[in-house]
Amino acid sequence: MLTLYHWEPNANSGKPMLALKEKGVPFESHYLDLLNFDQHSPDYLKINPNGTIPALVHDDLMLTESTAIMEYVDEAFPGPRLMPEDPVERWRIRWWMRFFDQYFAPSLSMIGWSVFIGPSVRDRDPEALKAAIARIPLKERRIAWSKAIYNTFSQVELDESRRRVAIGINCLEQTLSERRWIGGDDYSLGDINGFNLGYALPLAQPQLCNDEKTPHIMRWLRAIYARPAAKATWSMGRTQMAQRIQFLES
Amino acid sequence: MLELYHWEPNIFSLKPLIVLHEKNLEFAGRYVDFLSFEQYELPAMSTVEVRHNPEGEGPILVDRGVPMTESFFIGLYLDEAYPAIPLRGRSAHERWRVLMWARFANEVLAPAISSLGCRKYLVPALKDRDRRDVLKSIERMPTKEQRDGWLQALDNTYSEELLADSRRKVGIAIRKIEDALAESAWLAGDAYSLADIDLYALIAPVPDLAPEVLNPAPRTVAWMESIKRRPAVTAALAASRTGKPHQAFSPGPEHSRWG
Repeated sequence: MLTLYHWEPNANSGKPMLALKEKGVPFESHYLDLLNFDQHSPDYLKINPNGTIPALVHDDLMLTESTAIMEYVDEAFPGPRLMPEDPVERWRIRWWMRFFDQYFAPSLSMIGWSVFIGPSVRDRDPEALKAAIARIPLKERRIAWSKAIYNTFSQVELDESRRRVAIGINCLEQTLSERRWIGGDDYSLGDINGFNLGYALPLAQPQLCNDEKTPHIMRWLRAIYARPAAKATWSMGRTQMAQRIQFLES
Repeated sequence: MLELYHWEPNIFSLKPLIVLHEKNLEFAGRYVDFLSFEQYELPAMSTVEVRHNPEGEGPILVDRGVPMTESFFIGLYLDEAYPAIPLRGRSAHERWRVLMWARFANEVLAPAISSLGCRKYLVPALKDRDRRDVLKSIERMPTKEQRDGWLQALDNTYSEELLADSRRKVGIAIRKIEDALAESAWLAGDAYSLADIDLYALIAPVPDLAPEVLNPAPRTVAWMESIKRRPAVTAALAASRTGKPHQAFSPGPEHSRWG
């Protein structure tokens, strides 16, 4: 029995979705609407007390943290291997997944939460929003949601996030100019991770990420989008957020 | 030939040294005094993965000509490249738990330990130096994160709020370890693993930096003692030149910017 609790194929939710599709592992999809705070509902907290998504339930095991879930999925199920044999490439993939998860993505998502997540929920009943924030189990997530809802990201924080996004794009372009995929010659979890972070970069950061300035990133994004598993994953999206991926058809 | 560039065997530098000794691997240890800033002058270290070392400064393993950073991933590399005496967990689920410990350690615990250690030991060490020389070395560092980290120590701008938050984070780690050891003998299950090495290396300075969080934490204290007695740990700590490895701190990973 395998159930994935996830939101849109985007950022963290999309990582295990795409990994499962690449391996051809059937799973029960349980969609949670992040903007409706489904992830903090009592029913879901019974499954994952931290109220984070995604979460994977495999028989009696409950697994969290999208990157660690992907490594588990790759090892525990048959299908094409998504980590190469070469230990140097495996090291490089893990280094990059940490760079994506802990440097690049937090900065990109701070901008995303400020311009999209916050405005999407801000106009709701103030008392209901207050109660929704109070129900969030993790302190860090309470801080993130209240900053998004009350629009209290400082200019300094947002400027610093923009600076880091530019550095992330430069580092990624450089590495993809040296090798075909993140790890080396093989498509891997590192590419799945990076694609979830970066598929909308040409739309979100058009002045930094485009065919002239970052041809290798563009080549890499299009190559991943051409994969049937990517199409199958993004077709599970329900909102316009996931539809941004169609940009890569051009 | 495996080569490991490391400083005093404390926190990040300690981890791969323990792994190398646990696995009985031959290696050339290259001691670099991080307070001399020589780590910025090493040859052939211009890759993205060295320049943007997420640990700020940490050990670098060179194997097959490739310089590798990030102390936990170095250990995982060694375990996968040299599979005898496996340390990464015995099942997919145990290996997931090892990854979860490492993520928690690098995101929550490591920045907290680094802030407390730098405040106590790096700040006074830099006070004895010629400020202009130090500033010159800082200016040459490749990333803003590294420059900001060293400037924070040079100017001693660790706020009370940051230090209190660091002690809180160390306390969270000790509770987590205490809870895990109530369930199993080692952090990821019944076998000693990279998770134990990772957390031990970061917790080893805690009796000095934040003794209050260990009182009481009987399972954690016993677990630390049993790791400390392992021959591989003794051998790793023997690489110390100062005799005080757990006082060696350089600016480390940043605290999460999301709070």
